[in-house]
Amino acid sequence: MAMTAAALDAAHDGLRAAGIDFVSGLPDGWQRPLHERVELDPEIHYVPVCNEGVGFSICSGAWLGGKKPALIMENSGIRVASEYIARISLGTGVPVTLLCSYRGDVGETEHWGIPHGIVAEPLLQALRIKYLVVRHVEDLAKSIVRAKRIAEAQLHPAAVLVSGDCVWED
Amino acid sequence: MALDRYEWLGRLAGRIPDDALVMSTYIGAVSFEWAHHTEEHHRSAHLGQMGDVIGLALGLALALPHRKIVCLDGDGSVLMELGQLVAMGEQQPGNLVVFVVDNGVYESIGWSSQGRRPTATAGRVDLAAIAAGCGVPYTVDVTAEDELDAEMDLAFSRDVCSFINVRTQPGHSHVRPRRTDGIEDKYRFVRYVERLEGIWITGVPPQDIALMKGKQH
Repeated sequence: MAMTAAALDAAHDGLRAAGIDFVSGLPDGWQRPLHERVELDPEIHYVPVCNEGVGFSICSGAWLGGKKPALIMENSGIRVASEYIARISLGTGVPVTLLCSYRGDVGETEHWGIPHGIVAEPLLQALRIKYLVVRHVEDLAKSIVRAKRIAEAQLHPAAVLVSGDCVWED
Repeated sequence: MALDRYEWLGRLAGRIPDDALVMSTYIGAVSFEWAHHTEEHHRSAHLGQMGDVIGLALGLALALPHRKIVCLDGDGSVLMELGQLVAMGEQQPGNLVVFVVDNGVYESIGWSSQGRRPTATAGRVDLAAIAAGCGVPYTVDVTAEDELDAEMDLAFSRDVCSFINVRTQPGHSHVRPRRTDGIEDKYRFVRYVERLEGIWITGVPPQDIALMKGKQH
């Protein structure tokens, strides 16, 4: 199960429209095609990592050097990255756009995804990260653009959680 | 024989290229003494904390590949997030040089009659060997002063992604703590990078300023 072809195009269009030129992340089942697409995009510097916390640190350093970064990951990665989000962004004020698969959302088929769905939104709220839950493909590109826009304005991350029709064709 | 931190950081400050940028630790003896030696020069970002200093430096190095990036980290911080070394070894930016102040203890937490709390490098862990295993092209474990001088000269004379672990004596900061927080440190570093690179990073975008001027007319 991966994001739909239409959602893939919308996510890629959204990243480009937002001016994202630096992406780090750890691929998951849903957004694997997006990692593959971004890696081949000559306008985006792609840095794969082995955990999302390292990805967040790298994105933050890239922003200090003038890049417009995004971190693409499963929502379980928010837990891993939360240490560095707190240290760097709550302590310093660095904007990174987070694009997360929303495992455990209503419609989930996998038992292991349920904890990710329980923790994700309360954790984002604890980290003072504004977010949009996107369940319709037509909302995806503009939501990424808006998340990046407020991240830059507040100098703090903003997130898009991807679910619903973006991944399921039931 | 381990090196004296204050002394070798001073020698590093004297050797660092004028146009280099530095990612340093945020608080603690390394940050305080580096700031003292460099007179709080704005080329240094004192923004790194436990487990993220190398990651920040790596992102900066990838964003500015033409610019020498020097990272100053401590052994406890590197140990907290070894995944940073994996990314460093995968990316291998030739403009990145990491110096680790490896004193084998958690210095900033203080000590008691039982002494300082040791890090894993006081035992069997060899950070330079781990970095090499992660694919970092050049790694070295430095224990002598003349060896460090040669390594600094080498690092600044070529473009090779390097990890230089410096075995350092424990000891509290020789200087007073810094006064600024991460917010102030970020702004002064970002403004320095904007001027150095001729780029815009944050604030009202140049095109919006032009638009506002247009509306006034």
